[in-house]
Amino acid sequence: MNKQKITLAVTGLNNTDNPGPGVPFIRGIKESEAFDARIIGLVYENLEPGIYMENLCDRIFQIPYPSSGSDELIERIENIHQQEQIDVLIPNLDAELFSFMKNEGRLRSRGIQTFLPNLKQFQEREKDKLPEFGKKYDIKVPGSINMSTLGQIKDLEDKYDYPVMIKGQFYDAYVAHNEEQAKQAFHTIASKWGFPVIAQEFVKGTEVNVIALGDGKGNTIAAVPMRKQYITDKGKAWGGITLADEKMMELTRSIISKTKWKGGMELELIKTNGGEYYLIEINPRVPAWVYLAVGAGQNIPEALVKLALGMDVQAMTKYKIGKMFVRYSYDAIVDLEKFAAISMNKEI
Amino acid sequence: MKITEDIKISDNGFVFNSRTGDSFNLNPFALELMKNIEAEKSFDQIKAEVMEKYDIDDLSFEKDFYEFCALLKHHQIVLQDNPLDFK
Repeated sequence: MNKQKITLAVTGLNNTDNPGPGVPFIRGIKESEAFDARIIGLVYENLEPGIYMENLCDRIFQIPYPSSGSDELIERIENIHQQEQIDVLIPNLDAELFSFMKNEGRLRSRGIQTFLPNLKQFQEREKDKLPEFGKKYDIKVPGSINMSTLGQIKDLEDKYDYPVMIKGQFYDAYVAHNEEQAKQAFHTIASKWGFPVIAQEFVKGTEVNVIALGDGKGNTIAAVPMRKQYITDKGKAWGGITLADEKMMELTRSIISKTKWKGGMELELIKTNGGEYYLIEINPRVPAWVYLAVGAGQNIPEALVKLALGMDVQAMTKYKIGKMFVRYSYDAIVDLEKFAAISMNKEI
Repeated sequence: MKITEDIKISDNGFVFNSRTGDSFNLNPFALELMKNIEAEKSFDQIKAEVMEKYDIDDLSFEKDFYEFCALLKHHQIVLQDNPLDFK
């Protein structure tokens, strides 16, 4: 079969101890039988490991953080597009998604395709809106309170038993076993991530996750459930295994069908000892363990790029059960020239 | 008592629960018991075979076997509607 030549731009090459999904996404594309992709790596920092990995990207460009303004970011993408003629852009980091979603039309008019959730889908699954999301779509979620003052911690005890999860709106979560710990977590999170700080009921059980892909019409194109086997102190999976759990699959299909989810997603669930599932978070993009799905038989990166290009994609329903991933760290020795080029020229 | 469909038992004693992702290592005797349970042998049959093969009194065997079964149930390796049903 002749592979279609495309130019694919990917962010999230930060394969650190808090890894982005860019590198495993590219690995999936390189194994695609449909595409012969020229890979454009888009990075925010000059030490993102994906820059230095051999045979990963054909070109690398540094782009400005979305916090410096959406326009600046999109203008930089347009500038890169003039050189490289990007067919598809896959943003992989939470913080940049809003800017790319907002500018989807502008990018499309330049010939750059994306496949992202719409703003409504993106916003209604935000952590501080989870109780409303659960109610609307009939999904069990832990109770939570959005806190903007320290005084609200005193009221927590009336509502929930300790331990309680204290979470940032975008990132970070701590288990607080008493009022003092809750206050400490509140301060840490508020100073880093701002308000609201979310106090969430602690649901006892096993954390399980699903990676999935929705076509935007209510169909689940791909879904693979996984359990983390090895978790870092940042709560990141350093090892995981695919599961045979029909209930998780049903829940995933139901969420995608009801929300008409468009794009990649990760569901974070707690399975209680009684076999109930509580949704604790929806990440609006593929997770860093996306390559496990590829290894288990569902090439989600390939399917996502196909959807972005408007191609027909058949739903993938089978995957290998008991497939594992084990992450590792590796010291790449690199020449100073590469570091100098990305630092000075903002491109390689 | 039945081993659930999600359980895979390797000949070297590695047990994998594909629904929960849990895995366990069995020692040779536990593997022998698991194989007997998998073959749906009755408690009396298993007891007779074990007592024939090993130097153990029936009280100790029953106590250890029930403990083992409780562990299997706890880890969702077996389905057991009736807690006294070891057949």
